Amino acid sequence: MDRIVCSWCQYQDDVSRTTCSTCGAPLDVANVVSRAGWRAAPRLREMTEFRVGNTSSTCQVSGEVVPVAEFALTEHDRVFFEQHTVLWKERLVSLHGQSLATKNKRRIAGMPYAVVQAQGPGRIALTRDASGELVVLPLHPGIELDVRGHSFIAASMNVSYDFIRITGLANVLHGGNGMYIDRFVARDTPGLLILHGNGNVFDRRLAQGEAIQVEPGGFLYKDPSVTMNTVKVPLGGGFGHRNAYMAELAGPGRVGIQSMYVHHHTD
Amino acid sequence: MSDYVCPYCRLGSDASAPACPNCGAPVDVREVRDRSGWVEQPPIKDQARIQFGRSQCQISGNYVPVAEMDLAQGDNVYFSHHVLLWTEPGTQLAARQMAKGWDRRRAGMPLVMMEASGPGRVAFSDDDPGEVIAVPLQAGRAIDVVEHHFLVATSAVTYDWIRSGVWFTLGTGSDKEWFHPLGIYLDRFTANEHGLLLLHARGNAFIRDLDDGERIYVAARALVYKDRSVQMNVHLERPSSPNHHWRLIQMVRLVGPGRIAIQSKYGFEPEEHWGWNEIGPSGTWNNWNGEPSRWRPKIADREP
Repeated sequence: MDRIVCSWCQYQDDVSRTTCSTCGAPLDVANVVSRAGWRAAPRLREMTEFRVGNTSSTCQVSGEVVPVAEFALTEHDRVFFEQHTVLWKERLVSLHGQSLATKNKRRIAGMPYAVVQAQGPGRIALTRDASGELVVLPLHPGIELDVRGHSFIAASMNVSYDFIRITGLANVLHGGNGMYIDRFVARDTPGLLILHGNGNVFDRRLAQGEAIQVEPGGFLYKDPSVTMNTVKVPLGGGFGHRNAYMAELAGPGRVGIQSMYVHHHTD
Repeated sequence: MSDYVCPYCRLGSDASAPACPNCGAPVDVREVRDRSGWVEQPPIKDQARIQFGRSQCQISGNYVPVAEMDLAQGDNVYFSHHVLLWTEPGTQLAARQMAKGWDRRRAGMPLVMMEASGPGRVAFSDDDPGEVIAVPLQAGRAIDVVEHHFLVATSAVTYDWIRSGVWFTLGTGSDKEWFHPLGIYLDRFTANEHGLLLLHARGNAFIRDLDDGERIYVAARALVYKDRSVQMNVHLERPSSPNHHWRLIQMVRLVGPGRIAIQSKYGFEPEEHWGWNEIGPSGTWNNWNGEPSRWRPKIADREP
């Protein structure tokens, strides 16, 4: 049987499909890539439906201004999310609280220290309260991804949710991402992670040693192999000169940025 | 000729027009319905026109849309002053005093409305990315709208308000505190004769027609409007947890028959409450722990 490879998640689908069955990306449109190499994240078509990891549950997306992810969970299937992202649910969908490991550190860092698991059968819809787009990231077993805090919409249960500390005083004072970022790891089966990017989302693969400086508020996700450090950019101006601080991301690996970001002032 | 019934406003019109003349919804687009039954309200196309009486409304802008009214002599519309974008000098503007001022002030609702009278043009927009929803109301029809969604209405539509009934309390005696996840009041718009009501929804808007007895649980602040026939109660949901108590998720329980509309950007507020002493009429709750002794509901009205 002829297969078509999704350029976003690399899954091989039947050629008759117009959207990827694991990430929802349109298969019949060309990638939009800027001259600098940034690729626009796939614009998911209205009501696109795709599989949740290796389960029989599905996710359908709707809305172009403030998008909604609607999960149809089969019996005993679960997804987890932050409590305040619930838009609506059906009666039979049960909710279970889950405290995260190292919750005290997370609480100090202003990160979510507990998540809610929704269990099927039934439907539940989730949305972040901001204009932007959904980024659907199927995770192969063993794959890790570092994500800006408070950016994930939902993940399948076989994805573990942890955090890492970004070292360095410059990052703490000027980094904008805080001391911690989320780390999602797919365990032994394929998992699904859905993020919300404010504005538009762009993705780029950095070569070994290649570096890019990003406004700290624009960082959305990266591969663990990509290093991130806050660097000072002198702006000159003689007496009373000012500095800007940027997040320097160095390859190899994949990085994602969002176009509607929190601007961090120069000092 | 009315050989086409618009699925969004449920009124008949001429199918050959590019947009429904009653609500501006495009005629030539496929209905976008998800598997649960929610229908995405299609954005009104840029420069689409809606006819009301001898006047017209034209919608422009896709991100923060603007409703531009071309008012004929003798036609007038009313609105809250903060949504006024521009007006022609010839358009007459006047204050429109609202009754029950004390109640309105207590509920944080506008005390005074403005009224614009033709001939002339006047334009309105709300200050948030989203969609304008045009709701043509036939004589005698009424809908209940969550406060702060009202943009503008024609004078054939009367404006009143009702208690939402969506509340819960904490504490007793002098410590008693009231919480209204949806607001104390709902706006009720009733058409004396055929009129037009424009609402603003933040983010994307979705509508759903609930069957008789069908129910759905919606984040309280996501609701935009409902038909009068749809029953609404407070619903509190508590995730189960072996380790600690969870704060309440405040929702509304909507039971058909009738239409409801929600928005996808609903102004997140952190859940701050752990329990309650009383909840509003026919209020329901779900504790997925199944261990009522672990927390403190004092009522037996669990969701069946």
